[in-house]
Amino acid sequence: MNLPRLYRTVSRDRQRFECLSWWLCFRCLPVLLMILLSLLLLSATAVRAESVAAGDVGSGQLLLTDQQGKVHTAMTQRSRVDMRISGMVAVVRLEQVFRNETEDWMEGVYAFPLPGSSAVRFMQMKLGERRIVGKIKEKEEARKSYQKALHAGKKASLVEQQRPNLFTTRVANVAPGEEVVVELEYVQTALYQDGRFSVRLPTTITPRYMPGIPGDELRSLTVLPTHGWAVPTDQVADAPAISPLQHADPGSDVQPHNPLEIYIELDAGMPLASVDSPYHQVILNRSGQLYTLQLAAGKTEMDRDFVLNWRPVAASAPAGALFTEQVDGEFYGLLMLVPPALQQPASLPPRELIFVIDTSGSMGGVSIRQARASLGRSLQLLRQQDRFNIIEFNSDYRMLFRRAQPATSHNLQLAGEFTRHLHASGGTEMLPVLRAALSAQDDVDELVTQPPLRQVVFITDGAVGNEEALFGEIVERIGASRLFTVGIGSAPNSWFMRKAADYGRGSYTSIGEETEVDATMSNLFKRLSTPAALDIDVTWPDTAEVWPQRVPDLYAGEPLHLLVKLGSELPDQPLIVSGRVGDSDWQTSLQWPAQQSEAAPRHAGVASLWARKKIEQLLGEKHRAEDPQSLRDKVLPIALRHQLLSPYTSYVAVEEAKARPSDAALESRPVPNSRPRGQSSQPYAYPRTATTATANIWLGSLLLLIAIFVRLCRQEGEHA
Amino acid sequence: MPRPLFSLLVAVSLAVSLHQFGLAALIHAKAWLAPILVQQAWEKSLAGHGRSVKPWPWADTWPVARLVVPSLGVTRYVLYGDSGHALAFGPGHDSGSAPIGSEGVAVVGGHRDTHFAFLRRLRQGLLVEVELPDRRRRRYQVVETSVVDSSQGLLPVTHSGEQLLLVTCYPFGAINAAGPMRLVVRMAPAENGDGSRLSSDLRA
Repeated sequence: MNLPRLYRTVSRDRQRFECLSWWLCFRCLPVLLMILLSLLLLSATAVRAESVAAGDVGSGQLLLTDQQGKVHTAMTQRSRVDMRISGMVAVVRLEQVFRNETEDWMEGVYAFPLPGSSAVRFMQMKLGERRIVGKIKEKEEARKSYQKALHAGKKASLVEQQRPNLFTTRVANVAPGEEVVVELEYVQTALYQDGRFSVRLPTTITPRYMPGIPGDELRSLTVLPTHGWAVPTDQVADAPAISPLQHADPGSDVQPHNPLEIYIELDAGMPLASVDSPYHQVILNRSGQLYTLQLAAGKTEMDRDFVLNWRPVAASAPAGALFTEQVDGEFYGLLMLVPPALQQPASLPPRELIFVIDTSGSMGGVSIRQARASLGRSLQLLRQQDRFNIIEFNSDYRMLFRRAQPATSHNLQLAGEFTRHLHASGGTEMLPVLRAALSAQDDVDELVTQPPLRQVVFITDGAVGNEEALFGEIVERIGASRLFTVGIGSAPNSWFMRKAADYGRGSYTSIGEETEVDATMSNLFKRLSTPAALDIDVTWPDTAEVWPQRVPDLYAGEPLHLLVKLGSELPDQPLIVSGRVGDSDWQTSLQWPAQQSEAAPRHAGVASLWARKKIEQLLGEKHRAEDPQSLRDKVLPIALRHQLLSPYTSYVAVEEAKARPSDAALESRPVPNSRPRGQSSQPYAYPRTATTATANIWLGSLLLLIAIFVRLCRQEGEHA
Repeated sequence: MPRPLFSLLVAVSLAVSLHQFGLAALIHAKAWLAPILVQQAWEKSLAGHGRSVKPWPWADTWPVARLVVPSLGVTRYVLYGDSGHALAFGPGHDSGSAPIGSEGVAVVGGHRDTHFAFLRRLRQGLLVEVELPDRRRRRYQVVETSVVDSSQGLLPVTHSGEQLLLVTCYPFGAINAAGPMRLVVRMAPAENGDGSRLSSDLRA
């Protein structure tokens, strides 16, 4: 085809259209687009071929995996909770069903949370109809017998405590396609605050930050694989054990990764005004004073704490209660007492409020929004005469003001601006920021006298691995300051924050959803501004062993909560509690339950709670320079006697018969947790890295082609 | 078919197609335009001794590093955060991972069809230079490139050693924007000393 001929063809074609623009639009543009499209297609294929050559996809190998190999859900888990609440004591049966989805024999490792105050006192392994009751043993001893069974091919299960609120279940020699059930029983107390009881059931673990310098040499300390994603550091030696893997994608209640069923029997012992569960839909049945409760959907994803609240009718709100239990001829008691509310809140001296807000990576997503909202609300609640400061921290910390400033509208405006621009990123280096927040201003001069009341409000999800070091820091530096913790998110480390508030002589509150921010922060400020009940004294009989030994000061809306071992007889004298609220003294007396030991109402679990409290308090002594070896010697006998899990004791169950044939290999796999609801993707989730531009171009081109085609058809029709 | 229906069909198809082209053009325009503004912010950031400077007043991200691949003539400004919002303007550093240039694994994600299209040209041993806001310069070397299925595995974040991971979607040129495959380029700090000698050796 030579050029003049081409020109003639083109001009003849042009004349078929009425004007030049039509021709350009309906002839030239389509042709151009066709050329472009074919080019695009060609280049895409070329690129694909090239990149296949680049990466070694040919082998089909996933190179980016953890040290143990490919991560996939070889072992799945589902849970069932049966909870019986009587008065303030909840006895919980937790059933974990592990299922081997592979063709190999498996060991499953599952790290899971429990309430921080839970006393785990029973464990059994169920294999179909057979039940093997677990034995409580010294930690190393339990590990040894588990390991022996594992190598011998016997079915075995080991439950260990990593933190008071973080445990690990191991099941060994699970046959392909088989299910093994591990059942635990634990006791916990309901929390009574601001006229409302609540029980919390954590279900998953927010990934914790491990501060410190990593050291691989520490890894060899443990023989049993833990499958954690973190490497041990000099500050968190057991990092792999407390960093369980998570499913890459968030689960849903419809298709849960880790389904959970919940059945609750609630006998509050008093008429109730309301029973509700803020984060789950439940079905509630009532017969007399007994309530039964289960999930409306039958099951739920284990991606957020389950909370049950109940509120007594105002007239029967308890002022105090004594629960007792007799075990092995000895009486144990639980005392709950609400000091009278102050009628006329005294005018408070000026105070200094330091807000510490966690902006680490784990706070990403809904958590940082809740934290910002709480801080914003707090700023509104400040009084003119208060002085305040804000410190945000992640890997580093940053103060709003160099030192606390009066709450003038200008300063509040600055603070509001500061709050709005908080983003979640980086690590969780809590030690330096606690040091900064708690250490009193050293540079006090004549003009700025040290205010008498210094309150630190600590807003965080508590996702750190070095809790004990932080407790030590608080004990050392708290001085005259008070530490109030506010837990944020779907799965906060509640135990850490409760204990931190304990050591900091403040109180703990939690926020699970943004709608709760208002009410919770208002309650917190009530607590901050109302003087506590002080100098509380209880007239115990001489033989009584009470924990905690030092009665803490109380804040508004908080009850006194003591556990006691009474010896072989209940005292005759009523219990007298006295203290000081505001400027006035108060005193109250409580009657012990019926003297006849047979008639005394039994509150199962009080003894376990007492032992658990004692262990907790003894372990707390290590921050007051107690020798760790002598601590262990004190704690171990109590844990063994009361059959409790502790840092020094574990439960182990071993089946006698051998299950795995000698020639079959055993693989060890983690059982992943679900990702906490609403949390933004963790570092180990992949970013979404494609735009819709390519799809847009394809769709656009396709539609353009259709338009041209239709137009051409029509023309043909007209010509015919 | 009656005439008005034809016209309508043509008009609708043309309109939707125009809209689609517009969307695609917008994505590419943003991706092309943003780095110009980001560059200015970066220079201010350098001048301000590492202060974060937002490229435009309402931005919710800011440059945190400059990535240069000398052998490919590629320069990219890494932004804070790897949300979809930030990625539209440039590759983003996952704020949950370790900071770039320090101990631990730093993860940088980018769109395969815009800023990180060059990842397919990265080969083992190539040198990548990274400049940080405090004027520190780091040299990394590509250790391996791998294709992974993000629905199967997780990016392991260990705190051992310094690493930089560049992540983008895979395969390049695919239509589906929500596919599970990812190309991961793992880089480790290049041996200290004469980095240029190293790179020429590898090119040879």
